[in-house]
This record gives sequence, structure tokens and C-alpha cells, in this order.
Amino acid sequence: MAAPLASPTLIDRLRDPSEKTLGVMLLAPAALLLLMIVVYPIGKLFYNSFFDMRLSGGQGSKFIGLQNYADMMKDTGFWDATLNTVIITAVTVPGALLVGLGLALLANLPFKRQWPVRLALLLPWALPLAFAGLIWAWFFHTEYGFINDVWARMGGEPRMWLLSPVSAFTAICLAIIWKASSFMALVLLAGLQMIPKSLYEAAEVDGASKWQQFTQITLPMLMPSIMVALIFRTITALQTFDIPYTMTKGGPGNATETLAMYIHKTTIDYLDVGYGSTLAVGMFVLSLLLTAVYLRHISKQDSA
Amino acid sequence: MNGGVFSPARLRFFAAAIVVINGFFPAIWILLTSFKSSIELFRKPITYWPAEPTLQNYVVAAIEQPLFQVFMKNSVIVALLSTVVSLVVASFAAYAIARLNLKHRQLILTAIIASSMFPLVTLLVPIFETMRALGWLNSYMALVFPYVVLNLPVCTLILVSFFQSIPRDLENAAMIDGCTRFGTLWRVVLPLSAPGVFTAGILAFVNAWDEFLLALSLNSSAAMRTLPVGITLYQGEFTFPWPIIAAALVVAIVPVAIVIAIFQERVVGGLTAGGLKG
Repeated sequence: MAAPLASPTLIDRLRDPSEKTLGVMLLAPAALLLLMIVVYPIGKLFYNSFFDMRLSGGQGSKFIGLQNYADMMKDTGFWDATLNTVIITAVTVPGALLVGLGLALLANLPFKRQWPVRLALLLPWALPLAFAGLIWAWFFHTEYGFINDVWARMGGEPRMWLLSPVSAFTAICLAIIWKASSFMALVLLAGLQMIPKSLYEAAEVDGASKWQQFTQITLPMLMPSIMVALIFRTITALQTFDIPYTMTKGGPGNATETLAMYIHKTTIDYLDVGYGSTLAVGMFVLSLLLTAVYLRHISKQDSA
Repeated sequence: MNGGVFSPARLRFFAAAIVVINGFFPAIWILLTSFKSSIELFRKPITYWPAEPTLQNYVVAAIEQPLFQVFMKNSVIVALLSTVVSLVVASFAAYAIARLNLKHRQLILTAIIASSMFPLVTLLVPIFETMRALGWLNSYMALVFPYVVLNLPVCTLILVSFFQSIPRDLENAAMIDGCTRFGTLWRVVLPLSAPGVFTAGILAFVNAWDEFLLALSLNSSAAMRTLPVGITLYQGEFTFPWPIIAAALVVAIVPVAIVIAIFQERVVGGLTAGGLKG
């Protein structure tokens, strides 16, 4: 009698999918991209590290087991770059935290006009790292740099800052701290503004000094923001590339070459994909270790 | 008490001055440098304020090197493309996480955020290999796809929190009126989340505009360089051409600085809500 209900066609189902189908459809683009840019590359990275693979020669790839890893252990270039990276991280992470905290405390004062201060924190964040490196290299320029000019006015002899290992390292760390501290300050400033004013008023009534208020209220309340900022800063510091690349290109010699620069040189300049992958695995393990140390530290604090 | 050398107002002024000088000094120094003639620039002792301001460096930067027609064009195309794709992909994912009855919503969000924890440098090798195999080296695609992944965590986080703040009743009403789920996302949820979409868009744009390592590694041919790569690899005849570099830097910094200055409150809000990226 009555015509059978038409079963929903494919088009109908696409137009108004069930909750689950819709979920799959909406998440598919993100999932595909993550597969292509993160998951597959991680797998390929470990795979490559067991091969002798040079894209320059054209002789294809040869399975060599753990040979690359053995080479890496004996490679002084790798250890120098690792040490440089660890030093940069150990100097710039606390450095950026201290400077950032100072900037955040200053910026948190009740100003009539907020925008100049806020823009002063945003500008270094928005400045590309490569540009920050170029500008700081110009500051430290031996002949015409601002630093040597000030140095000379104070009675010093002009110095070739970027051409001696220790001062080149210091200059790079200063540039990184300058660049990173403004983002730190923005995160910490947001944390500072979340602390209820009533806490300080109560402390004032109890006769607590400004310093006591800082150590007893501000710092503990700020801890979550500090930890988040530190973790991300550390992971970023381990990848340091742009600023040393634009300031010194790793020189003098390889005194300021970071692990990221060594990996870049091996892979992109020398096209040694097998060994470059092995180096990247080394870096991968290093960053996992440091993240784990931090996470443990946090969970300890939480349970304490 | 008030009105002395250390009055609260004075102290506040000094505090503001420290923060402002710290943030602006490098940009102002490079701006001053860009107006000095090469003769003045290489005179000793160095001058701070340009004695005879000139635009000559800007002219040379635009003529001798393809600052606008290549570097700027590439940067704008790559940044805009990756921003648009990031917003589409992230708003799809964010809608699924914020609104759908899925089992592992938190896990999915964590997975997207965790993907940003992997150091980009370690992925450089296989990404380079993949793009090489696909024949995508020295093309916009080589950069757009990785940049979208780079932006995915921040954009998704911001959009999830905006989507969650929209009353479900509005969506239900739209669906009763015959809107499909896609229709409600497009016509109801996204327009109401416009501030969030905008904030995520600015952050995505700046991230793409700033990226250096991938741009240097994947798109190093002269015609495909973005601004950071193009300016860093500027080669003068004999030495690094500092006056021209300064002019090029100003040209490259100004557009983003203007956007940041206009939308600073949104940017700060997005950065601290996203809480990521150092």
C-alpha cells in the first residue's frame, strides 16, 4: 500500500550524520595532519637511525644496525653540541624566569595607561627569533655596535664579543633571555592578576612586610603559572636554533653550535639522513628525560 | 611624603620606563639605524640619532634584493594560508571536543596538545625527507602543513573554551529550525565565537610569520624564501650589509607590530589562555 520509507541515502547521512560519524569527520583533518607531520615522522626517525642513508650519493640506504649510535657516542661534535645546548638551557631558563618575573611585577603596578607597558611585553614576543638574533648581533658588532660604544665610554678597549667563545656564548644567552622573558612576563602577569586583592589586605592588617607578602602570598599563588612557563621554556630552550644561527652561525669554530644546529647541518647541508636521524633520536631522548624530571618535580609538589 | 624623589607616582613611572625601554629599545635602535646613510653608519664614534636621515637604505633594500616581491609575498601567502587552514582544522576538532558526546574527549584534547611537546627539530629530518619524496620542497605546501600542526594546540585550546561558553539552547533552536550540525557550527557557533576565532587567527599568523628553521630547511631556494630566511641570508658584495638589513627588518617588523598594537588585549588573552608556546 504505502510506499516503503526511503532508506536514508549516503548524501542524507553526510548532511546529517550521527553524533559518532560527525565526530570522526570533524576530527579527521586534525588526525591526518598529526599523522603526517608528527606520528609518521617519529616512526621514520627511529627507522632511519638504523640505516646508512645519504641523499647526496644516490647509492640508496643500507641497514647498519646500531652503527650510527656507536658513531654518535664517539662523535665529539655531538657531545660539544649537547653540552652547549644544556648550558644554554641551564642559563636561559632561570635567567628568563627571573627577568620575566621582574618585568611582570613591574608591569603589575597600577598604571594609568596600560598599553605602553603591555605592548612593550608583546613586541619582543612577536619579533621573530631570527630577527632578534640579527638585532643583537648588530648590538655586539665589534666596530659599530652599541655595546662596544658604551664599553668604550666606560673606558674599556673595544672587544670582539662574538669572536671569542665565552663572550659569544654570553651574548647569545642575553639575547635569548631578552626574547623569552617577555613571554614569561605575560604568563606570570596573568597569574599575578588572578591573585585576590583581599589576601594582601588581610596580610597588611596582620602587619606583614612587603617582602613577606611576596614570599608568603605572591610566590606560592604564582607557582602553577611558573611551572607551566618553565616546562615550555625548557622544551623551547633545548631546541635553540634561530638566535645562535643568526648571531654566530655556531662560531667561533663550533663553540656556540647547539644540538639543533648540528642536526640541521648534518641533515640539510650534508644530506646525511641516517646519522642526522640518530642525532635527532638523541635529542628526542634528552627532551623526554628533562620533561619527565619536571613532571616528577610537579607531581611531588602537588602531593606535598 | 608624596612628591619626593621616591613618591609612589615617580616609582611607578620608573617601573613603566624600565619595562618600556626593555621592550622597545632593540626595535628603536634598528629603526634609527635604518635611517643612517652607510657613510654615517660606519663612522666612529657611532652616532645614536641619525645626523642626516635618509631613506636610501629602504630603496636599496627594495631594489637590490627582492624584499617585497619575493620575501614579503612568500611570508604573507604562507602565513595567511596556514592561518586559514589552522582555523578550519582547529574549529572542527574543537567543536567535536566541546560539543559532541564522544567517549575520549579529554584524551583527544591531550593528544593534540602533547603533539606540540615534540621538538620540531627532531621531526625536521623525516619532514624534510617526506617533503622531498612528495616533491614539495621549495613550495608553499612544504611550510603550510607543518605550520598548521604547530598552531593546532593553541588554536584548539582557545576555540574549545569559546565553544563551551555558547549556550546549547541556541544550537538546539537552530537545529529545530532545520539546521544541520554542520550548519549550526557554521551559522551559530562560529559567528558567536568570532572573538576567539580572531584571537586564534592572530596567534597562528604570528607563529607562521616568525618560523625560521623549517622555512630555512625546506624552502631555501631564492624564490621561495620567507622574510626571516631571506633577510638572514642577505649577502652583500663583501660583508653583511647592515644598513640595508636594518631597513629590511623594519619593513618586516612593522606589519605585525601594528596588528599586535591594535589587538593587544585579545593577543594577551589568547596567549595566556592558550598558555603554550614559549
